[in-house]
Amino acid sequence: PPDNKQVEKKAPCPLHEYVKKILYKELNKLCVERVLRQMRKLDWHDQHVKSMAIQCLTSASNVRYNSIHCLANLVSGLALYYEDIGIQIVDAVIEDIRLGLEINLAKFNQRRVSMVKYLAELYNYRMVESSIIFKTLYTLITFGVSYDLNELIANADTCADPLDNYFRIRLVCTLLDTCGQYFDRGSTKKKLDCYLIYFQRYYMFKKEFGQSVDIARPYDRFDIEFVFTDIISSLRPEFKFANTYEQACEQVSKMEGEIRDSIVQ
Amino acid sequence: MTSSTATDAEKSNEHPVKKIVIRRLPPTLTREQFLDIVSPLPDYDYFYFCNADPTLGQNAFSRAYFCFKNNQDVLNFRDRFDNYVFLDSKSNEYPALVEYAPYQRRFKLDPKNPPKKDSK
Repeated sequence: PPDNKQVEKKAPCPLHEYVKKILYKELNKLCVERVLRQMRKLDWHDQHVKSMAIQCLTSASNVRYNSIHCLANLVSGLALYYEDIGIQIVDAVIEDIRLGLEINLAKFNQRRVSMVKYLAELYNYRMVESSIIFKTLYTLITFGVSYDLNELIANADTCADPLDNYFRIRLVCTLLDTCGQYFDRGSTKKKLDCYLIYFQRYYMFKKEFGQSVDIARPYDRFDIEFVFTDIISSLRPEFKFANTYEQACEQVSKMEGEIRDSIVQ
Repeated sequence: MTSSTATDAEKSNEHPVKKIVIRRLPPTLTREQFLDIVSPLPDYDYFYFCNADPTLGQNAFSRAYFCFKNNQDVLNFRDRFDNYVFLDSKSNEYPALVEYAPYQRRFKLDPKNPPKKDSK
């Protein structure tokens, strides 16, 4: 037999196991207070403990999906005492979303949905401002995105956002579903109105041209169509849906024209 | 008097100080090794280093955040380290990215108003 050394398993660190237990197994909306008290008792001045705890608090995908808001609540409670921890967690969440766009592997899909939801919940608990949410929203529909069909088909294997990949639409919808209802007045309302028009263009492009290459998962397309129309009609009941990609582009150029005029005046 | 010097200092530094991030560093890199490689560093008032998240497997990267006191230093830092190839212990190559951090808040100890001490 080969003389391979067996990889020695590291003995689990008891503190790490405990943090995992209270965050991932026990956390629910009834015991946020109690878990917060336990988390405050950690030795936050120990670099090792601190980085372990920050990593645990960032991994929203280990928490039950419906309890992610509890994790955000917990972080906002901790940030009252340790401001830098809140900042480092937000940085890590944003980084994770960005890295997800860059690597774009299906096995991380659930993780990415959780992370986006977590960011939105952090907004609901006032850990980040709306500008971060909008930055993320625009990154989701622009990072590595191309509207050039020939280019997309030629580089189908290497491009960051392949034509038949509808996953980013789901991420945007998750984000809007979680915190979109608060963008209902003032400047954030206007920002969301603009965003939805760009988002519709992105969606219509995928819908019209994605069909040609999408054979593997024909149901994704219908599924995502419901998600898309549901979220927009719940946020903006008056929204005028475009029927074709061309119409969606017209809406974009009309809006851009109006904004340009208002700046000139 | 003090207030006028403060505004002068702000004027010479037209834009407010920006937090920057250097991403896609080797996952095995430690804080000390990183500081060794990038030194000498210009004056900074904020720095922290993040270890890679091992659950991402081969897509795990370390990263570090900075705030330099002078905006010109940000540009110099970018010229030096954007696309700079870091090596890990097995000589795999990791071209780094230097960017403005999307989230600009940073932690600064204010000697007059220390943060609430946690009574636990």
